[in-house]
Amino acid sequence: MNTTRLIALAGLCLFGMLGPFGSAWAEGEVGAKLCVTCHDEEDLPDMSRTAHGFSADKRVPDCISCHGPSIDHPKKPADNHPDRMFIRPLALPAHERSAVCMSCHSQDPKRALWNGSRHDDANVACNSCHKIHGNQDKVRNRATQAEVCYTCHKEQRTQMNRPSHHPVPEGKMVCSDCHNPHGSAGPKLVKRDSINDTCYTCHAEKRGPFVHQHDAVVEDCSNCHIVHGSTIPGMLKARAPMLCQQCHTPHVVGGVGAVGGQPGVYPPAQPGQTAPQITSTTSGKNVVNMWQGRSCLNCHTQIHGSNNPSTINSMPELRLR
Amino acid sequence: MTLLHPSLRFQRSLLSLALASAFIPWQAHAEGDEAKAVGTISVGLGGVSGSSADRTLFGQYNGLRDKDAFGILGIDYSLRNQEAGNWVDFQATNLGLETREMHLIWKNPGSWKITADYGELVHYDPYTINTGLVGSGSTTPQVQVLAGGPGSGGELELKTKRTGLGFGFSKTISPAFSFTLDLKNEKKEGSRLFGTGMNCPTAIDPKCGGTTATNTGWALLMLPEPISANHSQVEARLNYAIEKFRVNLGYYGSFYRNDNGSLNPLVPGSLNNPLGALLPLSSGLQSLLASPLALAPDNQSQQFDLNGSYDFTHSTRATMKLAYSTATQTDNFAGAGLANAPVGVSNLDGKVQTKLAKIGLTSRPMSKLSLLADLRYENKDDQTPIAYYNTEGTASYTNRAQSMRKTLGKLEAGWQFNSDYRGTLTADHESIDRGVFTATSATSGISALREQTDETAVRAELRRRMAENFSGSISLSSSRRDGSNWLKPNSGQGVTEVTNLSDPVTGLPSTAIFMPTLANRKRDKAKLFADWQASESLALQFSVEGGKDKFDVPSSYGLQDTRMDQYTVDWNYALSDKWGLNGYLSLGHQNLNQARPAGAVMAFDNTNTGANIGFTGKPSGTVEVGGNLSYVDDKSVYAQTLTPSAGADSVALLAATGGLPDIVFNQTTLKLFGKYALDKTSAIRVDFVYQRSNWNDWAWGYNNVPFTYSDGTTVVQKPTQSVSAIGISYVYQLP
Repeated sequence: MNTTRLIALAGLCLFGMLGPFGSAWAEGEVGAKLCVTCHDEEDLPDMSRTAHGFSADKRVPDCISCHGPSIDHPKKPADNHPDRMFIRPLALPAHERSAVCMSCHSQDPKRALWNGSRHDDANVACNSCHKIHGNQDKVRNRATQAEVCYTCHKEQRTQMNRPSHHPVPEGKMVCSDCHNPHGSAGPKLVKRDSINDTCYTCHAEKRGPFVHQHDAVVEDCSNCHIVHGSTIPGMLKARAPMLCQQCHTPHVVGGVGAVGGQPGVYPPAQPGQTAPQITSTTSGKNVVNMWQGRSCLNCHTQIHGSNNPSTINSMPELRLR
Repeated sequence: MTLLHPSLRFQRSLLSLALASAFIPWQAHAEGDEAKAVGTISVGLGGVSGSSADRTLFGQYNGLRDKDAFGILGIDYSLRNQEAGNWVDFQATNLGLETREMHLIWKNPGSWKITADYGELVHYDPYTINTGLVGSGSTTPQVQVLAGGPGSGGELELKTKRTGLGFGFSKTISPAFSFTLDLKNEKKEGSRLFGTGMNCPTAIDPKCGGTTATNTGWALLMLPEPISANHSQVEARLNYAIEKFRVNLGYYGSFYRNDNGSLNPLVPGSLNNPLGALLPLSSGLQSLLASPLALAPDNQSQQFDLNGSYDFTHSTRATMKLAYSTATQTDNFAGAGLANAPVGVSNLDGKVQTKLAKIGLTSRPMSKLSLLADLRYENKDDQTPIAYYNTEGTASYTNRAQSMRKTLGKLEAGWQFNSDYRGTLTADHESIDRGVFTATSATSGISALREQTDETAVRAELRRRMAENFSGSISLSSSRRDGSNWLKPNSGQGVTEVTNLSDPVTGLPSTAIFMPTLANRKRDKAKLFADWQASESLALQFSVEGGKDKFDVPSSYGLQDTRMDQYTVDWNYALSDKWGLNGYLSLGHQNLNQARPAGAVMAFDNTNTGANIGFTGKPSGTVEVGGNLSYVDDKSVYAQTLTPSAGADSVALLAATGGLPDIVFNQTTLKLFGKYALDKTSAIRVDFVYQRSNWNDWAWGYNNVPFTYSDGTTVVQKPTQSVSAIGISYVYQLP
């Protein structure tokens, strides 16, 4: 690739020398030309592959569209910084920085609910996440987006490193597959109007409604799942039976948890025991079935709901609860 | 396991993508400098060490679980024709694996845009199954007892694969009007861990006989869930935007179709008893185990919404959303292989209507003051007809309508004390009304329900810039939740409101469990965040967060309290213009306490340590290198303390076992890459990954004693796994 030519093209695209822009800031076009006399291709990274570098789009801004006319800046740059700065220490307040971007990007329906959204509210500006000058905007690249989100969301980074997770570390999913960071009507900035509706975009088989429903499932998937990652298979918040027994009365008499392979569970009996926990006639509601395998889900296999209508068979209901 | 035919599907989907691509002016790159194409093509080979058992964690999603060697093929192409105003981007990744993705964008910015996407996502279950099951992954698996005992069966790996194809179109109709349309279709195939189980005797089926010296009275069976389903989604949106006013009208439809209606296992007349002896099943058990399991029914959801924003002034803005959606499920019972529905009922006729209204207002009436008000109302109305579906012995119960009304209000004020200080105060209130409990539904298995909960939260945040190179924030929040009177399950149908919890007749027993989603709760959280640019080359970021929940319930059982803390430090260090380092250290702790009647107080305690160090460098003009070493250590401790009500057997068991073993997961991952430029247009790239994982989860076995299904099926995972993968590719860059 002819890098010099590419950078020159980027500069031309960026600073509006390829033709009339017809932008709302057309009166400042002279200013934009002035910018490139100092800020040449040596001073700015290549942004030829970005939307802002595509001059054929009549909507593309130039320098002063974002940074303001900055009348005094060219006269004595060291003493007069541009009207609008986006990086520390001279950065505008977050809401003013975002307002500059939103003057064009608010037309996108995906940003209709930006004002007052959690990120706006938390003083997160557009350029807190996005890199404007450069072809590589990490947050718009699926391979690197999560790194940007982890800048603030440390707990989620920890959870994603656990073995049961959505394929974000593998690059097959990104945060924005579930969240709209630019504002939504749902909690936690989820893309759709509720956590469940967002989950159903990939897990529609859980939507129902079912003949036999589970209240906790219908209300909120995150009642049981910690979707950013867990050491418990199925991305569960807690291991069954503890998770289930937070709401449900336990089956097994005696509350001690134990697993096969520990003394006193299978024969022989240990001191103080009248018999080991598991004998040839032990009920299925035993400590091993309660704590191992899929735990409560060994029998209650359809906790997301069952559509079996049978009125003569108790199994459909039992498989739910 | 369902056999997949990825090559066939791949070809079909590729054909669609190719058809779409055929209309794109790829040849435009010959039209001079203004339309010059840029991009890269990567071609190479890779290899993976170890066996499939060494890759169950490494290969969950990357398609390398069963591959010793793989091809590397990736394309990144961009053609921007400034004269014609057209722009084409095409990226293809992982083309040599079953995780391949392709993305195509063809657009005339400011006028129209067409997109096409093809993606494959494979998920391997991280466990390997040893079983005698015949027809695994079908809707009619045949259970066969392993005559040679556990471990003597065939190995089975379960996986699911999603193959998605999407198309998008957007058009700027005029400066104010635009339209977007997105279509996505995803096929999901494979199987996942599933099963059935039954314990006899039971009150819900008195004819079922229990376990005796000559009969097996309970059984657990591993039956993979067969998955072959299609999910289509469509979203269309008409957008109108002028200077101060933006509004868009949208339609979203989601249509799920399952090829499988029910799972009908063939169960033998004899299965292993609790100690592994093969015995005839007690009366009634075989038919219960073989009864059909309903698989996910076809269902659909559609939504119309209107949302937008209006700028009253430069500093006062409003946002709003109105939405109306309907989710229905009318899958025919008989068609799914599910018999004995209530007389005259052929399908659930399920219907849930949801209405949503949200309005927000932000204002800055003074330069130092910011205000926010937000109100959200959601009414989820379950209109599914009620019918007597449930049976427990001789008693019958209906399905349950689950409607809900949720109202959330939020007020916030922020004040900029000076250029360095900013404070924010927020208050919000959420009210959830779950409606009247369906009077004819069953309520067993729970102690208490609640119709309404209300939660009020306040939050204070202070941000301060302490120096040019140091800034931080601290936020504190506290919330309180309570609700309406508890509802006590009746001995038969429905519930009764309890006005006096401690009344021995009408109240709730001391052993009652009050679910944490409904119980009174005090929640407190704190978060401290700091950014420090220590020098021109070193940047540090500190984060400390903690929180605790205290459940104020009228019993000492169930979940009592939880707590979490997390400490992290991130850093970036620029060694020189050519070399950089980065990394983080993270320490986390989570704890929960819960108790259960007649036994033990359980305390779950989890500690997590994560560390990461990475580097990037350009030692010469032709060489580029990078790497990352990460370590995760996660330990879960299940402490148990006996209550005075614990029986002698519980005392003896806990003394014998010493409690549940700790579960420890740790993983070390090293990733390295190097790229050497052969000339201006080509380079060689080498990628290397090493991962070592240890996980001693006892869910499927402990101390060489496996958890064993009643037919001898076992589920295993190699506790220590080491795997290396290397890929060498030639990268050609378009001149």
